[in-house]
Amino acid sequence: MRAALGQRGQIAGLEAVVFGTLVFVFGTLLVANAWGVIDAKLAAASAAREAARSYVESSTSSEADGAAAAAARDAIEGHGRDWDRAELAMAGAAFARCARVIAEVSYQVPLIVVPLLGQHGTGFTVSAQHSEVVDPYRSGLDDEARCGG
Amino acid sequence: MLVPAGVLVLVILGAIAVDAAIAFLAQRELAGMAAAAANDAAGAALSGPGFYEAGGRTELTLDAALARRVVDQAVAASPVRGVEDVTVDVRVTASQVCVTVSGHVPYLFARAVPGAATGTTVTGRGVATTVEGPPGAAGASATGVC
Repeated sequence: MRAALGQRGQIAGLEAVVFGTLVFVFGTLLVANAWGVIDAKLAAASAAREAARSYVESSTSSEADGAAAAAARDAIEGHGRDWDRAELAMAGAAFARCARVIAEVSYQVPLIVVPLLGQHGTGFTVSAQHSEVVDPYRSGLDDEARCGG
Repeated sequence: MLVPAGVLVLVILGAIAVDAAIAFLAQRELAGMAAAAANDAAGAALSGPGFYEAGGRTELTLDAALARRVVDQAVAASPVRGVEDVTVDVRVTASQVCVTVSGHVPYLFARAVPGAATGTTVTGRGVATTVEGPPGAAGASATGVC
């Protein structure tokens, strides 16, 4: 009886399996992270829209900033994202008839996200803007509507 | 060789999915922009002096030129990143405004493929109607103005 010591039964091309596995791992990471950026952009757009809407629909100017921040936070967390990575900036935020309010939400997307191992790297910053006009004919504000200027 | 070939096919399909998602995302953003601009115009483009002089008891009509200006301001105030050559069309009837925003979206991965499309054109549309009454009051049908 002969011992099986030779390599006559070895299948050539084993390195192709290793190469294929590497392509699979890095390709999956690339596509997953590209999708992560898109998903974060969706969350930022929703947050900006909700923030601007909540601002112009607020009853008073003192409530407007808090309402915008709360709405943006709800939107980000509703997308399963971390509010600590997000930032809300309100521009042109005058609480008066016809005033245009611009809400911009930025979100820091990690460079690599590996299940069970967490998030690594600072990655990219995605941002989205949304603008709304305070309703000229709403109640609760002084003065007349002068949107034509 | 079947394993790397199959994996490459998988990655390419993933890249196609990402490019399609980018176009879909841009279309959603343009639709949101168009809706916001139409909403702004439906309120801000009302004839103010006429409204107040009639004590709010007149038929609500929109000023087409003012509506166009308000929509342009809305579009300029919140540009959509990643969308090029944005065009805006505004149509106004008595109390309705229809805003259509179009733009070219470059693909992310398909640009690396010789001969493949480098992007696509997406369109978003929003219609708003000016109505008299409390918030939530039913308005006229939004069909037809576009």
